[in-house]
Amino acid sequence: MASGSERVVVIGVDDSSHSYHALETALDLFFTPFKSNPQFKLVVIHARLTATSVIGFAGPGTVDIIPLVEQDLDKTAELVKKKCTEVCSAKSVEITSLEAIEGDPRNIMVEAAERHHASVLVLGSHGYGAVKRVFLGSVSDYLAHHAHCSVMIVKKPKAKHASNDKH
Amino acid sequence: METYVDAIGVDTEATTTMAKQSKKKLKVMVAMDESKNSFYALEWAVEHLRDVISAEPETDQAGGLLTLVHVHPTYLQYIYPSGGTASAVYATDSVPESMKKAREESTAKLFTRSLEICRGKMVKTETMILEGDPKEMICQAVEQTHVDLLVVGSRGLGMIKRAFLGSVSDYCAQHAKCPILIVRPPRETSTSSSTKEHKSN
Repeated sequence: MASGSERVVVIGVDDSSHSYHALETALDLFFTPFKSNPQFKLVVIHARLTATSVIGFAGPGTVDIIPLVEQDLDKTAELVKKKCTEVCSAKSVEITSLEAIEGDPRNIMVEAAERHHASVLVLGSHGYGAVKRVFLGSVSDYLAHHAHCSVMIVKKPKAKHASNDKH
Repeated sequence: METYVDAIGVDTEATTTMAKQSKKKLKVMVAMDESKNSFYALEWAVEHLRDVISAEPETDQAGGLLTLVHVHPTYLQYIYPSGGTASAVYATDSVPESMKKAREESTAKLFTRSLEICRGKMVKTETMILEGDPKEMICQAVEQTHVDLLVVGSRGLGMIKRAFLGSVSDYCAQHAKCPILIVRPPRETSTSSSTKEHKSN
């Protein structure tokens, strides 16, 4: 393995605190230790849901609200992009590529990982329990098994326990 | 916490002295079994994370720590209950002994191989042997040692197999208290998986 080649870290963000926490963790792990000598390139992917997937069942009034939902999704995408840029520049990490792609998050992430020849794919995890996972589907689960590269799943820690058990 | 770990037969051999808790460098744990994928995961971790965990020569600060953990499953593989009755077939005393010896030998081989991979990379490595259910023990080890990252290989089981045999990487991804990195083998060597997208939505 050539040590000179730069490797790519692809991180998927949605608009949740879990994603931003994952982004920060990834930055701390892969980027801040090498401030002067970057070893990795950062690619941030925002999977923008389609309006139809958000709305779910079609009803009589659906046609009217689609534009509104689209607008809202666009706004969210812009917000996510902005926030990621802020987080990264706060840690003085340069983003190689920041993309918002529309569609199903799972496929988007797999394709993005392939396109950028990612070494690592980083995701936040909502921390759903077993039941929710089945019904809501878990992107991190899917990617852990279908991505062609290594996958890092970052969970946001729950409220810290009071025990200080460091001996 | 340490007494608990001792009670189930932890055998820690530190190849160097224990690293001081360092703010910058990370503690990384790699879960090993005898499969090829976990060796690949170890190599991957050492290759990519080497700079994050290795000691810097110029500073006096101790580098991060790489912990290799191997879990012996405790289920007895050599005793099968006969029929549906309560009477089980008991193995003679010599069988558990030789089983234990065989296990110890294979563990020793595993760690020898692993340490060779780590050698020369300037990484402080320590090894841990635990006994019990692999998924739970790995998650407990993560909690107790407060590592910053857990690295596991993926066996690449298809979806059906995973449902029945259980997947350590799945369980750890859901339950581990730290971020988990699942290393997949390079595409050429991975077997074609028969998983289809399942539409759970």
